[in-house]
Amino acid sequence: MKVSLNVIKKFTDINIEVDELVSKINAQLGGVDEVIDLEARYKDALIVKVAECDKHSNADKLSVCRVDDGGVVKDIPRDEHNLIQVVCGAPNVKKGMWAVWLPPHSTVPASFTDREPFVLAARELRGVLSQGMLASSEELGLASDSIGIFEITNSDIQTDKVIQAGASFAKLFDLDDVVIDIENKMFTHRPDLFGQLGVAREIAGILHQPFRSPAEYLTPSEFDSVSEELEIETFNDVPDLAPRFLTLVVKNIEVKSSPLWLQIELIRLGMKPISNVVDVTNFVMLHTAQPTHAYDYDKLNGKRLGVRMARDGEEIKLLNKKCYKLTAEDVVIADAVGPVGLAGIMGGLDSEVSSATKNIVLEVANFDMYSVRRSSMRHGVFTDALTRFNKGQSPLQNNTVMSKLLSLIQSIVGGAQAGGLKDQSAALETLAGIKVDSHFINQRLGLKLTDDDIKRLLKNVELQVDDNLIVTPPFWRTDLRLPEDIVEEVGRLHGFDKLQNELPRRQISPAPKNKKRQLEQWIRSSLSGMGANEILSYSFVSEKTLVSAGQNPEDSYKISNAISPELQCYRLSVTPSILEKIHENIKAGYPEIALYEIGKAHTITANLVDGVPPEQLRVGFIYAAQKVQKGAPYYYAKRYLDQLMNELGIHVRYVPLPETNLAIAQPFYPSRRARVIEVNTGYTVAIVGEFDDSVSRNFKLPDYAAGFELLTEGIQKSINPSSQYRPLSRYPSTSRDLTIRIDERISLQQIVETMAQVSINETQVTIKPTGIYQPVGETEKNVTFNIGIFSRLGTLTSEDASAVIERLVNSITDKFKAEII
Amino acid sequence: MTYREDIAKIRDELFAQIASQDDPGAVLRSDRLKGLFLSIKDQPSQDRASYGQLVNELKIELEEAILDRKNHTERRDPIDLTSPFDVNAPLPDLLGVEVGSQHPISQEILYMSDILQRMGFRVYDSREIDDQYHMFDTLNFPKGHPARDDYDTFQVSEQDESGMNFVAPAHTSTMQNRILTELRPLLEKDQPIAATSIDRVFRNEDVDARHEHTFYQHEGIYVSKGIHAGMLVATLQTFLEGYFEKTIEVRINPFYFPFTEPSFEFNMSCPFCEKSGCNVCSQSGWIELLGCGMIHPNVLKMAEIDPEIYTGFAWGGGVDRMIMMKHGIEDVRHFHSGKLNFLRQF
Repeated sequence: MKVSLNVIKKFTDINIEVDELVSKINAQLGGVDEVIDLEARYKDALIVKVAECDKHSNADKLSVCRVDDGGVVKDIPRDEHNLIQVVCGAPNVKKGMWAVWLPPHSTVPASFTDREPFVLAARELRGVLSQGMLASSEELGLASDSIGIFEITNSDIQTDKVIQAGASFAKLFDLDDVVIDIENKMFTHRPDLFGQLGVAREIAGILHQPFRSPAEYLTPSEFDSVSEELEIETFNDVPDLAPRFLTLVVKNIEVKSSPLWLQIELIRLGMKPISNVVDVTNFVMLHTAQPTHAYDYDKLNGKRLGVRMARDGEEIKLLNKKCYKLTAEDVVIADAVGPVGLAGIMGGLDSEVSSATKNIVLEVANFDMYSVRRSSMRHGVFTDALTRFNKGQSPLQNNTVMSKLLSLIQSIVGGAQAGGLKDQSAALETLAGIKVDSHFINQRLGLKLTDDDIKRLLKNVELQVDDNLIVTPPFWRTDLRLPEDIVEEVGRLHGFDKLQNELPRRQISPAPKNKKRQLEQWIRSSLSGMGANEILSYSFVSEKTLVSAGQNPEDSYKISNAISPELQCYRLSVTPSILEKIHENIKAGYPEIALYEIGKAHTITANLVDGVPPEQLRVGFIYAAQKVQKGAPYYYAKRYLDQLMNELGIHVRYVPLPETNLAIAQPFYPSRRARVIEVNTGYTVAIVGEFDDSVSRNFKLPDYAAGFELLTEGIQKSINPSSQYRPLSRYPSTSRDLTIRIDERISLQQIVETMAQVSINETQVTIKPTGIYQPVGETEKNVTFNIGIFSRLGTLTSEDASAVIERLVNSITDKFKAEII
Repeated sequence: MTYREDIAKIRDELFAQIASQDDPGAVLRSDRLKGLFLSIKDQPSQDRASYGQLVNELKIELEEAILDRKNHTERRDPIDLTSPFDVNAPLPDLLGVEVGSQHPISQEILYMSDILQRMGFRVYDSREIDDQYHMFDTLNFPKGHPARDDYDTFQVSEQDESGMNFVAPAHTSTMQNRILTELRPLLEKDQPIAATSIDRVFRNEDVDARHEHTFYQHEGIYVSKGIHAGMLVATLQTFLEGYFEKTIEVRINPFYFPFTEPSFEFNMSCPFCEKSGCNVCSQSGWIELLGCGMIHPNVLKMAEIDPEIYTGFAWGGGVDRMIMMKHGIEDVRHFHSGKLNFLRQF
């Protein structure tokens, strides 16, 4: 939002330096993006009269001019009539015209902000000395499509100005100005700040000065009740989406370029001049924030104009010359035949005001902010009008804007009213008073303002405040509804930099810990301590990823407006996301890796909890190596898992899982995957396994890979940090190695569990497998254990130890036909 | 022997190798096959084209056979799933602790949570799917507000019990009503509600070096009697000074959010250049850090907290940006790339 300081100054006094003003705007109004110093840019440009103009004797296209600068510029060669010689190449240069002269040593305004600005000098053109140059619009940085030099006539300036030789160009066109560009996002809820008038009022407010809007804005002038010379029938089918629709017909106008002063007004605030009619509608918008539009009356079919919903498939060509296919959700302005404008966004090409236009219909309307935003997003059309409408303009200011628009059209374009004002409006609300008190306000701001302070701050910006502190918003402040809104208003106008910053006081009771986060961190420390790398990947995967991992996409929640098919499905487990990261890392030069991710899984097969899908925290882990290692890769994943469980103090057993529908188990090879169960609670805490052939292929895994996925709910419920400890024995322990031969089908877990069930009074036994040997082709294996034995009663003798070993061995020889070797 | 017979013989040999070898893919790299390709140029010119065609067809056949073998014939022997190691194999080695790493975002979340926890804030998780009631209704978003539509928020196809589509939350404020409701009993005991949720959020946005659709937010809420805007500023300043372990200047600008009134944009003096101007603060000496404000009375009412008696503040800020500033990370896409050359630096 560009704001002209000269315009602001017409409404309110500013007695501080620009820098100070900018920092106040930053602190109390909105972030300033840019400060553009136009005064510096145009300081050397002078108005001159071309007194003489002759053809250059040596060049067809050049003219040698003598210009009158009123003697303003010092130290420059002049002829006997005090004129200065300037060579000009423009076709429109002629004797007697008023032009803009850039003297030697001045900077060409268009290049002012360039890295290397172009500074003029006196130089010879085909043997004739030229003192600086006569400027074109382009060189003045005003337009890019100009032909010839900038010519000024009496109709181009405002009535209070005079063209004079040697006058400052900047002063003549109010370009002795500073334009401040404020971020739009700060004004989301302040439609009034999209006009110069609103910003001026707000600046007065933050400078603690009373502001008074022009009388014509506060009370609209009455419209002439002229008889309807040019008929128009108006309608409004959707008053809830178009609360207000005002129209007025003006006849006998002449469309041409705007006077230069108006063009320059628009240009400095970032708009492009088009024609006098369009420029006036835009000028009114820049001042009041209310977008307005003009239609060519004679191009409207059936002499009807109104608001309705578009019909599905209806088409319109807008002023940008592009064709749009509308939907039944678009609000349009239509004539008797079809749409003539996309409401609140852009007018239609077919009813465009052109140089042939004689009569126009002026429109000042109000539209639902969300509806116009959706239309604009749907069709990808963004305009200055939309920027204003989608902040929710007040419908209450439309009549004053219409009266301003009409008077400007008549003074700049000409013409006369050809009918009365037509008003197609819904019932308009009146803004209710808001009761506040100083205690309420001070308590929320931590300030000590008096009733008078509050009244003064609010009255400065034209809010009505009575003695009981009932605040009545003016018609442009539809955003003020609640006492808290008044708190904001008072705080901002007083200055948020004046708040008393103090910490809240509270009791010293400790904040309880988040147990889930604590578990996550234990897992992280453990796995990373083992050399694994934590990754984070998206919560969403493609259907293809799910299928590639053997999972059923039908079980997953779906994103309906996904940016790409890669991000369409909520994950059913974390493992597939990690699978996607293995190949590229190995390719990138990491031949042996362990990756893990802590993330959430969702499935539509689970019932909602408290109305929302349950979220399961999972930890996926994959070990992968390019080089095939000794033994099955399964044991690598299991090694990490065993170590992690050990560090968490969780006792688990492994149960083969050849068949299952569990989504989490699908990526794993059926005969090489196990369910991991906590022994005391029976919760499943993980699935571990090697990857299925198809999974390995789909994700281009190396030949040697395995992984696991933790179900943290089970772990959380099983964690019991105090259950680990055994009192120390005062007596030394002893250890023995034991090797047994046993059927290959008997699992190590069965053997250990069987031995562990043997109870021996006051003697404790630890059983640690140290090796399994099985010659190729044999159906029996040799398993070696290291058995640790210690007693609390006394030092164990060799016989005691042997007796313990014997009882252990007996337990398995009986049950599994094992033999000791 | 014709060249056709030669090729047929080699074909049989190679097929036998695919069936028998541990690494059937080695056939494609074998000298036998390479020799066939090299011999194309030695063929008499009239045979050369058809000879070359045969060799190429053979290669395609071999590739299919290798894939077929991998798909169907690779059966893995039974293993003891309960053992810590395989038969005839040692206990697998773990990778060294020196290559392990925790994700920078996890580290950052832990670091921030720790400071806030010490300041008395309870740490909450956010959600990855939520209903519109928590995401919008309880946060004073009017019906039709742009945040509710497709262009900003990821919509979930499935619906809640009231027939509204679930959403992927665009801010951790989606937890605000749950936290306020859960901790409301504290207010009656004259204790404040002080909580933070630091977690993953989503926004429907195209990804580039500076934008991500998946990112992380830290959010704080504090409710008690007599809480005012100056306390919000002081609390955030204290948090930031704890974070950077140095004195930080702060200032607020007016802003607008539906769920706070007044709302502010919160700025801190640049901790990297002490306000003298650097790349992190775009030479301005100040960094626009987060959004905050006094909790809107409607938000308190939705959690059955009386806004006449209790007031509170809330803030929400980006986690990713803090890490990027701290480490000078140039591209936000690195975070979810899973690239080890990035991750192992942390």
